[in-house]
Amino acid sequence: MSLRTLILCYTFALSSAVAALGAADPAPMRPIPAGVYVPLLRTTKDAAQVPVASFLLDALPVTNAEFLAFVTANPKWRRSVVSPLFADSSYLETWAGDLEPGPRAPANAPVVRVSWFAARAYARWAGKRLPTTAEWELAAAAGYTRPDGRNDEAFTRDLYAWLARPVPAVLPAADSARPDYHGVRGLHGLVWEWVDDFNTALVTGESRADTGLDRDLFCGAGAVGAKDTSDYAAFMRQALRSSLQANNTTTSLGFRCARDAEPATASTP
Amino acid sequence: MKTHRILILTALALWGGNLAAADAPAAACCQDEPVAQQADACCRATPADAAPFSAKSLYQTDVAFTDDAGRAFPLGELRGRPVVLTMFFASCGYACPLLVTDMEALRARLPADIRDRAAFVLVSFDVARDTPAALAQYRVQRRLDDRWVLLHGNDDAVRELAALLGVKYRREADGSFSHSNLITVLNAGGEIVHQRTGLKGGLDEAAAALVVAGRD
Repeated sequence: MSLRTLILCYTFALSSAVAALGAADPAPMRPIPAGVYVPLLRTTKDAAQVPVASFLLDALPVTNAEFLAFVTANPKWRRSVVSPLFADSSYLETWAGDLEPGPRAPANAPVVRVSWFAARAYARWAGKRLPTTAEWELAAAAGYTRPDGRNDEAFTRDLYAWLARPVPAVLPAADSARPDYHGVRGLHGLVWEWVDDFNTALVTGESRADTGLDRDLFCGAGAVGAKDTSDYAAFMRQALRSSLQANNTTTSLGFRCARDAEPATASTP
Repeated sequence: MKTHRILILTALALWGGNLAAADAPAAACCQDEPVAQQADACCRATPADAAPFSAKSLYQTDVAFTDDAGRAFPLGELRGRPVVLTMFFASCGYACPLLVTDMEALRARLPADIRDRAAFVLVSFDVARDTPAALAQYRVQRRLDDRWVLLHGNDDAVRELAALLGVKYRREADGSFSHSNLITVLNAGGEIVHQRTGLKGGLDEAAAALVVAGRD
């Protein structure tokens, strides 16, 4: 009873917490200039390119210390009380306790074992939002020295080396990743990240069925096809997103927040 | 695999439902909380919805919808009734009309006592075109009576509900939506007790789940 009550009460206690954080939030954000996202999978009716407006993206993924501030202010999201609807039973599993990240979750390392609902709640609390797939992919296309990383040798080498490495038991500091062209760190090489519209990936989760998506399960999905079969990393992200339920958590899945560009910046031609 | 998961979900939800029934408290929601955690809005609840929702209740979500009469419609308003819920969009030419027809067929299979109490809820993906007025028109077109609840929400609300239901969807360039075809049955507490995936069969099972949900 008291736990459930707590959950209900949390919602209404939120607004004051947001105000408190807004002033204290130290996480720097980086402007990502407007660009074009080329979807990995699209239907024959879709445009090959999706324009993306300029936006702000957290320079670093959200860390354990930052997430601790969030669960401290929002009891609903503590490990022992969170609703199974919003986070699975492995939520914050690497933490030592409800309010104690402990040795397996260093303060400056990216927080993992968080659900989409939790990531979204954090973003809302911080006065931000999760990036969309198009925004995230646009930002993540940048190499170390140029906005398009495909021909950036050092960048692609590091990316594929990371994909081949198992997840370490204890993640390194979020700021240990080399900054990319936009000054954003760790989009590759640290953890996978939630996007707001992860549930747009229309695959069934049953790999054998996905070669010709079942028209009975997905309306209109028969027309979905891949654009660039050589972009292996993008396929891995697509596969991950499509395999997730919104309450799932994994040992290598974290998130960072985004925000619309300031109106002044956005309206500048 | 999928069936397996649904079975587990159903079992869990039913179990949760029993728990909820066993200790359904009538007291105001903030009564036994430390003063520091109280928030005035929390204690504002009317007597009918004073009891907190269960841990598995979809009605915990704080996203809000608008019905086709233009009234604000928090999902918790469905509390107390067995619910059949489907996400759709009004201009859909393929699966959605079939889903609505299936919901009608499902309703026809119900015993009178359940049929009269059950809510048939359609929530639109199409936040731009399916305005409350457009949904009101759809209600007339499809001759849906007052047991049907047609809901419009903003992007945020639709995405969160879809995530809660396990519905995947995306807007296509031509303005239509690709989406999972899913009919969900909720019990009186707003917990998922059954889901029918796809477009074929499964109506008897869904009706049975609805009867159990309605008599809980």
